[in-house]
Amino acid sequence: MYNSKVRGRLIQGDKSFGQISREILAPIDKTPIWWYFAFLVSLGMFGFGLYAKYITVSTGIGTWGVNNSSAWGWAIINFVWWIGIGHAGTAFSIFLLILRQKWRTAINRAAEAMTVVAVFCASLFPLLHMGRPWLFFFIFPYPNTRGPLWVNFNSPLFWDFVAISAYLLISASFWYFGMVPDFATIRDTAKSKIKKAVYGFFSFGWTGSSKEWLRFEALSFVLGGIAAVLVVSVHSIVSTDFAVSVVPGWHTTIFPPYFVIGAIFSGFAMVLTLVITMRGLYKMNDFITDSHVDAVCRVLIFISLIMGTAYTTEIFMAWYSGSDYEMYMFFQNRLFGDYAFEFWAMFVSNAVIPQLFWFKAVRRRMWMVFVISIIINIGMWFERFNIVITSTSRDFLPASWANYSPTWVEVGFFVGTLGMFLAGVLLFFRFIPMIAISELKSVAKFDKPNNGQLKPASHE
Amino acid sequence: MSKNYILGVFDDEATLVDAFEKIKAKGILPVEVYSPYPVHEILIGMGKKTRITHAAFFYGLFAAIGILGFLTYAAVIDWPLRYGGKPFNSFPSFIVVTIVATILSITLLTLFTFSARAKIFPGKKAEIYHHRATDDKFVMVISKESIEKNEKDIQSIIKEHGEIE
Repeated sequence: MYNSKVRGRLIQGDKSFGQISREILAPIDKTPIWWYFAFLVSLGMFGFGLYAKYITVSTGIGTWGVNNSSAWGWAIINFVWWIGIGHAGTAFSIFLLILRQKWRTAINRAAEAMTVVAVFCASLFPLLHMGRPWLFFFIFPYPNTRGPLWVNFNSPLFWDFVAISAYLLISASFWYFGMVPDFATIRDTAKSKIKKAVYGFFSFGWTGSSKEWLRFEALSFVLGGIAAVLVVSVHSIVSTDFAVSVVPGWHTTIFPPYFVIGAIFSGFAMVLTLVITMRGLYKMNDFITDSHVDAVCRVLIFISLIMGTAYTTEIFMAWYSGSDYEMYMFFQNRLFGDYAFEFWAMFVSNAVIPQLFWFKAVRRRMWMVFVISIIINIGMWFERFNIVITSTSRDFLPASWANYSPTWVEVGFFVGTLGMFLAGVLLFFRFIPMIAISELKSVAKFDKPNNGQLKPASHE
Repeated sequence: MSKNYILGVFDDEATLVDAFEKIKAKGILPVEVYSPYPVHEILIGMGKKTRITHAAFFYGLFAAIGILGFLTYAAVIDWPLRYGGKPFNSFPSFIVVTIVATILSITLLTLFTFSARAKIFPGKKAEIYHHRATDDKFVMVISKESIEKNEKDIQSIIKEHGEIE
């Protein structure tokens, strides 16, 4: 295969395989003080969230700010936001695998870990929004004593349930099986007996034999191939929750691609936040090099342009449709009306600010990349606010117009999921190799002259 | 390590592949090769094939038919309900659930197949020939029976780049 030098080196500093293992596994042996502090903070946030959930369940949804018009509120904003962030795992692992991007190997593990935690956070919102979460199993189509009365297979809400639970299971198993060879590496390099036993258990008896690798590669091929569909399907299905209704601002065919792109956008931004943290706190700069960050930034420029196009297309279509309700929704409500701040916050942070990545000076300054990645995440939150709140609070009948603002319970719930995400990521840093060691070793040869082969004719 | 085996230990992929090919040219196939990451020359050279991809295809086929069949049974035959004037058999909207649930079935069934065939399961005790094979060494295990008189040749091939343990 043609080998381009555009990307720069995949691993800095001519490391031996042993060095790669040791440096990536170092955080598992030593826990810095800040880790305990951060973990305590995240547990505090998580506890606050638990209290908010307790209030929600024991008293009811009445403790939230939702009303008959805006029945969805923060719960669904945050649900869509978390699911969007949870898109990075498959987007990184699968899309970049299909596109044969070797730089993916340093980042995919973190992206997948983030996905699993984020999707788990997301799934809590619809669950508690049901009001009686202990009856959630009613959604499963199982033979029941009610007829059996089956669920409505035409409902996007049911599709959503299937999509999210499948996505959670699939991304978790994809993530786990990718880690099995790395757990074996920990088992074989660890000094302490407890570590050997624990990681030995989780490594499923992996030895690295050719038989195992043969089937492992076939497995990754199959899972990668079919999970590629999920990158597109999950958020398309989430978008149908909105798009199949007749509410102005929701009833558009642009929604599925718009949501998928938005999800990948926020997912990539969150990955950027995470890997810059890994570089800063764990000194992983040799593996997640400047050119890795640079590559993600370039992808973000492109996606940001698509986001800008989607926003303007929506506005254009509202005008072009000539529908009074659509015109009102976009021009009087979103652009220049009650929700102008949220609209422009979304537009500026998703379509304008990421354009700064055109400048190399910005892409090379990690603090700037970090700040922009946070801005994108906030912007994507505002996008979901725009979609969920503006449309429901001003529907066809002015008599049913209502304003919505969250109560502390909803805010607490959201803070709780932030704490859960943070705690999950911290546990990931502490106990799991944060970079896929075996995959990284397999691309190490491409940094060597002649791709590390003895004979000049390269096999790749 | 053992009296019945020779372990050829190499530092990188290229030397392992070189030695593997030379040994294979003598008509001798190693019992097993252990490496920190998959080396395609070895996977092909060892001559083993996997049918996991075929299995996955059939899981998908049967899962898709089964799920679509179930949806049709539940919504059309068992308890038909009119939703918003749509026909009972609203085939296009069944597709969504069928696709997603099929992907889930393929994933889980293929994982179990992998686990059963590669014998990778929770709590299994690893049979380790060389404890650095998952870290930084590429290890070739050759049974002494298979080499008989060629032992000297084999040793010299391994020693060209690697070590014998």
